[in-house]
Amino acid sequence: MSELILGSELVQLIIALILVTTFMILSSKRLYSCVRAFSIQSLLLACVAGIVAYSTGKFDIYIVAFLTLVIKAAIIPYIFIYIINEIKVKKEVELYVNISPSLIIGGVLFVISYYLIKSIHILSELSSLSLSASMSLVSIGLFIMISRKKALMQMLGILIMENGLFLGAISLTYGMPLLVELGIFFDVLIGVLIMGILIFRINRTFESIDTDMLKTLIG
Amino acid sequence: MIEYLLLAPLLTSILCAFTNSRKQIETISIAGSITTLGLGLVLVYNVFRYGPIVTWENSLFADAFSAFIVLIVSLVGFVASMYSIGYMGHEFEHGIMDVKKLKLYYILYHLFMFTMLLVGVTNNLGLWIAIEMTTLVSALLMILYSRKSSIEAAWKYMVICTVGITFALFGTILTYYAAVKILGETGNALNWTSLIEVADQFDPTIMKLAFIFILIGYGTKAGLAPMHTWLPDAHSEAPTPVSALLSGVLLNCAMYGIIRFYTIATASTGDAFTSNLLIIFGLLSLGIAVPFIILQEDYKRLLAYSSVEHMGIIAIGIGFGGTFGILGAILHMFNHAMTKSLMFFAVGNVLLKHDTKEISKVSGIVKSMPVTGTMLILGGLAITGSPPFSIFISEFTILASGFSQGHVVSSVLLLLFIIMIFAGFFNHISNMAFGIPKTGIITGDMSRWTLGAMGILLVFVLFLGIYIPTFFYDMLMQVVEIVG
Repeated sequence: MSELILGSELVQLIIALILVTTFMILSSKRLYSCVRAFSIQSLLLACVAGIVAYSTGKFDIYIVAFLTLVIKAAIIPYIFIYIINEIKVKKEVELYVNISPSLIIGGVLFVISYYLIKSIHILSELSSLSLSASMSLVSIGLFIMISRKKALMQMLGILIMENGLFLGAISLTYGMPLLVELGIFFDVLIGVLIMGILIFRINRTFESIDTDMLKTLIG
Repeated sequence: MIEYLLLAPLLTSILCAFTNSRKQIETISIAGSITTLGLGLVLVYNVFRYGPIVTWENSLFADAFSAFIVLIVSLVGFVASMYSIGYMGHEFEHGIMDVKKLKLYYILYHLFMFTMLLVGVTNNLGLWIAIEMTTLVSALLMILYSRKSSIEAAWKYMVICTVGITFALFGTILTYYAAVKILGETGNALNWTSLIEVADQFDPTIMKLAFIFILIGYGTKAGLAPMHTWLPDAHSEAPTPVSALLSGVLLNCAMYGIIRFYTIATASTGDAFTSNLLIIFGLLSLGIAVPFIILQEDYKRLLAYSSVEHMGIIAIGIGFGGTFGILGAILHMFNHAMTKSLMFFAVGNVLLKHDTKEISKVSGIVKSMPVTGTMLILGGLAITGSPPFSIFISEFTILASGFSQGHVVSSVLLLLFIIMIFAGFFNHISNMAFGIPKTGIITGDMSRWTLGAMGILLVFVLFLGIYIPTFFYDMLMQVVEIVG
């Protein structure tokens, strides 16, 4: 049943597009572009959830799809844009790893994820593309966190990881129980707000949001 | 019953928001803590006497293990709120805190209490949500002082723990996937009460994968090495009463999550896999703590690395397994909470008077602060595992279990690490406690609120090192039965 849904051409296409948005973030040097790509990614995730909801007839999943749309595709990007404008930083993404190597590493992470999922035979009854994409988003999100200098990009990396997990949950079980999903959305939203507060504090205290500055505590 | 327990800190937090005088805030805080402790004790009594409580359509739940966590949270929470009155009062009187910040502190303090209690009483393995909430609230407590180092610590804490907890979420998803195959797609398929009954039917491959993610994820939050890097920063930069809550209570909440999943995973995988992982991470935690403790220059960071050590010991105890391994580990959770809080309170008093966290700039505490100095020495001996204190009992129990279960190499390593840490740690404490006070230090102890809080903890540290009351032992055995 789940194979039928997640294996459908439409869902496969959307998942491929989700991966494209991830690589858009890897290839972009502008904060605005990264945020916009994340918004599109979340929109696509909401579409996947919507299709799953339609196919299974489970009303809960419609709620999850709607919340994904509202919170991740609209509210959170809005918060990011607000932060970018308020703290008047350079709008460019600063890199520890340049764009070309980043894209190569992203591609490698996807291939590794794909074969990792394939090798776990128990899980292979499901659509391997959706789970591979899930693992890819988690690992690429982690890579973005360690390869980009701005605190905002670390924040975005975490959110991409969370999107990956969301896709994974949909792939495996059509999402978690509704109460848990609601709790996760709540945590993500509050987390973004608090990280936003921290970024304002970092900016005011260090006059920068480069994470290079955050290196005084060691030993 | 459980609802009232959760409501108490929530209402206290709200009430603090509506007051504007220091006296009122402090009164509300201490009253709220006493109420929370009272309700916590009633819950503990009812659970251990009459059995598990389930409410709110199975969402809230308290068995013996939950009640044990509630006991630790509400007890340390109460004592730390006592200490807070003295500590934050001192900061207020010296102009470091204004009434606005003081209010914010207490609002967040009781909110923090709420999140930790929620971890203990949530039936859903979405306890992920509650654990992440603890991160969100305590990060704000950390930046109360607008220092560069505090903000850096808070950001690191926020980022590293959120990533860790994200991995734990994936472990939860995999567990849910395994559960759905057996229980069907019901809202109950993530409830502990449902899972534990059929855990032996779960797919072992999936559960192994799930446990790895859980261990890395919640292990980050628990401060297990090598995911511990946020901990020394956070625990040393937070206001000292919060440091006590972080080290004494919060780490236990994360360890609680690990142990809950350990029980479920072990049911389907057998205990070799899960036990070996816990022992490895535990030993790694102690091994990494050793050099940082021996070479440490900041006494709050010293205590923070001590927490990495003790979380490692608890993990090893669970890994050793058997009745006494688990008994030792559970007892150690309690003993560490009491002793580490006592130590943070002692060094908090030192910090108030000396205004520096550098070990080399502090000496002669016994002369300049007789009561605090005495507590510091006793606590230092206790935290490093000396008899006749409580931690010696739980460490000895774990070691005995290790040797008797055949984990000889691990047990020897554990013993060596403990000895090395004892030598390094107590060397620092001696240097601070003895000798001649630095120039300009005025003799005299801090507020009686702080000394009273420390006294309460010392009673537990001393008493449980000499004698474990029958009812407390029975409580522990009920927890062991659930975990093992």
